[in-house]
Amino acid sequence: METVKNEKILPGDQKLGVLYNAGKVRRRREWRGFKDTMYDFGQWLATWKIMMGVSMGRGFLKGLFRYRWMVNFLAVPHMIDKFTIGQRDEILRITHIGMGYVSYEVAGIVKQCLRADRRCGNDKKFSDKCVLVDENAMTSYLMGFPNLIALQREIPTLFAANLINQNSDLHYIDVAQAFGIPGDVCPMPEVEAGVSIEDDFVVAGKCAVQVNTTCDGSMLGNGIIAKRLEKQYGIPTFQMASPLRHRSEDTQKYAAEEVKRAIAFIEEKTGEKWDWKAYFAAAKRVNLTTRNRLEWLDVNSTPYPQFFGAVFSLYNDTNYMGNCGRSAEFPLIDKKIMDLVHKGYENKTMMASEYRHRCIVWGVQPQYVIDMLYWMVRCWGVVPLTDMLSMVIEKEIAEEDTPENREQAYYDMAYLSENMIMRNHTHGGYQVLVDQLWEYVERMNADMVMMWEHMGCKALTGMHGQFEEQARERGIKLVWVSHDLCDPRIYSRQAVRDQFNQFMRTVMREEPLDPTLEELPDNEAW
Amino acid sequence: MRDLSSLQYFEDLLQNANNDLVRAAKAEGRICAAYLCENTPEPLFNLGNCFGVRLFAPNTGSMDIATYYMSNLLCETARALLERAIEGGFNFADCLIAPDGCTMMNRAAENMELLKALEGNDKFFYEHMEIPFKADDNGVELLVLQCKNHILKPLSETYGIDVSDAAIRKAVAEHNRICRVIKAMGEFRKEEKPRITGYEFAVLTLATYVCPKDMIIDRLEATLEELKTREPDDKKYRARLVVVGSEMDDPEYVKLIEECGAYVCADRYCFGSFPGRDEIELTEERDALTQVCEQYVHRCQCPRQMNMEKVYGRKAYVAELAKEYRADGIIYDQVKFCDPWAYERLTGSTALRQDFGYPVLSVDRPYNVRSSEGQMRTRVQAFIESIEIKKLQS
Repeated sequence: METVKNEKILPGDQKLGVLYNAGKVRRRREWRGFKDTMYDFGQWLATWKIMMGVSMGRGFLKGLFRYRWMVNFLAVPHMIDKFTIGQRDEILRITHIGMGYVSYEVAGIVKQCLRADRRCGNDKKFSDKCVLVDENAMTSYLMGFPNLIALQREIPTLFAANLINQNSDLHYIDVAQAFGIPGDVCPMPEVEAGVSIEDDFVVAGKCAVQVNTTCDGSMLGNGIIAKRLEKQYGIPTFQMASPLRHRSEDTQKYAAEEVKRAIAFIEEKTGEKWDWKAYFAAAKRVNLTTRNRLEWLDVNSTPYPQFFGAVFSLYNDTNYMGNCGRSAEFPLIDKKIMDLVHKGYENKTMMASEYRHRCIVWGVQPQYVIDMLYWMVRCWGVVPLTDMLSMVIEKEIAEEDTPENREQAYYDMAYLSENMIMRNHTHGGYQVLVDQLWEYVERMNADMVMMWEHMGCKALTGMHGQFEEQARERGIKLVWVSHDLCDPRIYSRQAVRDQFNQFMRTVMREEPLDPTLEELPDNEAW
Repeated sequence: MRDLSSLQYFEDLLQNANNDLVRAAKAEGRICAAYLCENTPEPLFNLGNCFGVRLFAPNTGSMDIATYYMSNLLCETARALLERAIEGGFNFADCLIAPDGCTMMNRAAENMELLKALEGNDKFFYEHMEIPFKADDNGVELLVLQCKNHILKPLSETYGIDVSDAAIRKAVAEHNRICRVIKAMGEFRKEEKPRITGYEFAVLTLATYVCPKDMIIDRLEATLEELKTREPDDKKYRARLVVVGSEMDDPEYVKLIEECGAYVCADRYCFGSFPGRDEIELTEERDALTQVCEQYVHRCQCPRQMNMEKVYGRKAYVAELAKEYRADGIIYDQVKFCDPWAYERLTGSTALRQDFGYPVLSVDRPYNVRSSEGQMRTRVQAFIESIEIKKLQS
């Protein structure tokens, strides 16, 4: 592709590698020019404000001393810094607004967890309004329960914790493996199982709904968790199945019926009644999210992408799965981001001095190297236009309350669940995993694909040879970057980056835009 | 004991997926439906002129090409099947019907399709079908629809196979005849001095999955008659064991266990007799397909069934087998890199030890057990010794 040169000179630090040392945090904050540095500092303070809010919550102190994972949250401001490396102008603001809201949401979950937890806040009345849900569940089956809370206790315990601190999940991996789970399975459900084996989840909620959405490992790990919930804590669980062949017409009735049964289970256990008005209001918001995301992708298909990288993925993740139209606040955030995307596009805002390659990122991102996509831009001028986890819902669901739509709604909720982030490409056949990648390459005007090869993700590695051969046939440059999702002992951060470095130097025969970033002493950093 | 007169015959049949009987059936112009996984209703492949063969890859050696396509962290069964397909070992098949039973088996089948590894004739087709995740009426309804769309319809439209209710009933009757013979042989394993070894039983059972059923039934029935009068060895086994696991299509594994002095008294694995050789009961009042599917969904012991009744029920099922067959211990195994059984092996072995009080060996194994025979033998020997020590101490 033709290199796109930045017409503007980015103010502030140019050599970003100098910011890193071998410590837990960076040597100093990035200088972005006066205006952007002040904005960034203001957002840094805002993050602390969110954290202070959590510390005021019921059960916080007890939780801090009871749960190993709680200590990770001291590093949240550093996590935000990871996402903003090298950013200026609109792109910096988009990241702060997006990640700021994600942080706010996660902080809210921590508060809810500790408040409802039998060991800490022990607010029984509140706990009875909570339904435990999987971190990898699309919470569509709760769209019509405005008075219930989807308690995503796995998010702060292991998912977000690993974004904040690369070592946060290691202890639980060790616990699970000491108990007998082999080391080759995906570490994410392995961590979930490890937390449950060690009884380190909060104990809360009137009932729980588990899903089979991500993978075999996740589905099987649920059994360990459900056993503890049911046998030890008396929390009834329901397993909601989504078909794997989710593009087939002949599986949709099954999926819709599963949603119906999950809703009936929740009604029975909580005493709440399904509210169609709330459902259709949420459906409108889901559609708005879909329209916005598709528009952002349209912008990313031009020479001046604005909203991309890990924040794009995490924001979509939170917006679709955790929220799923239930919060009225997300559309407001969407609008702020949309305004900035338009402005950035008009101003031809770029994140680096030049964009040399337009890249689709495919596969599952490593939690502990979450800043990699921004690093690629600054170090090599490779811009990640979108990633697999962000290519989710494309169809709008029924949003008018009519008798026909009430029946259709079960199919729509099932559709949302079936197309949950990640599984909509890892399940459903090679057509959605392999063929669709090449469609996206064309649609996004990409010339390169970076394959995250998460070693434990067998749905993806099972197509390794197909990706390689088909990319070669199509003349698409494809680079493999292996990692182990949340275990940096297998592939350290630098080992992950080195795979990209080597490809760029030896295959692409290019020199980095910022050589100081090629090797970073961040092995010990949070 | 005197050798079973047909054992060598059945052993020979298991040396190759494209065995003498498959070739003979093909030579008669019959249609071969290759399939994967225990969750696909077997009688539906034996309709009219069609016969089903569950794919397996005996004597697997190198899996280098499959490893390139699927990486070295994928289940060895899946890789062995793909490797054999690439080698041309399954070209006798006229179609491949594969359920998304587990991700890795699905990827193996998809790689076969993309590589056109199996296309033996110009009408060849691939079908991928959904299998329910729970044992309930919704699951039954799904399986019925999937069987119609992905087994019956393509077989009928492509090869003109009779898929009528009457044809299904006839296939079920033939299937049940096989099941009765195998179950009757299996009953001998309850004896104090069994007249059939676990290895022999594994060979005979495996043959029923990979050969045209109508071509082996007579020999199987003759073998059963032979067993009725067979004098057992005056031999005391060191321990009676139940083997629990997934796609175990290698009788050498059972042989290895028995070479260590144990007796494999029951088999709860996907090519075994529990629950695969349970008879299918049909009534006249309802359509046969629904009844077949009902029984497949409800009897399923695969860890992919995620509802907690089934999660607990699988462990109770194994405990019940151990009790009925007077087992001293249980071997829970997992083919290396299998995700579902990685978890099931853990939860099963823990539950059987803690909740039911059985000694359990929890072990992962290669697809071809002889490729790391020494390690497996050491594990089994140590397990048997531990059972013996416990017996002595008690």
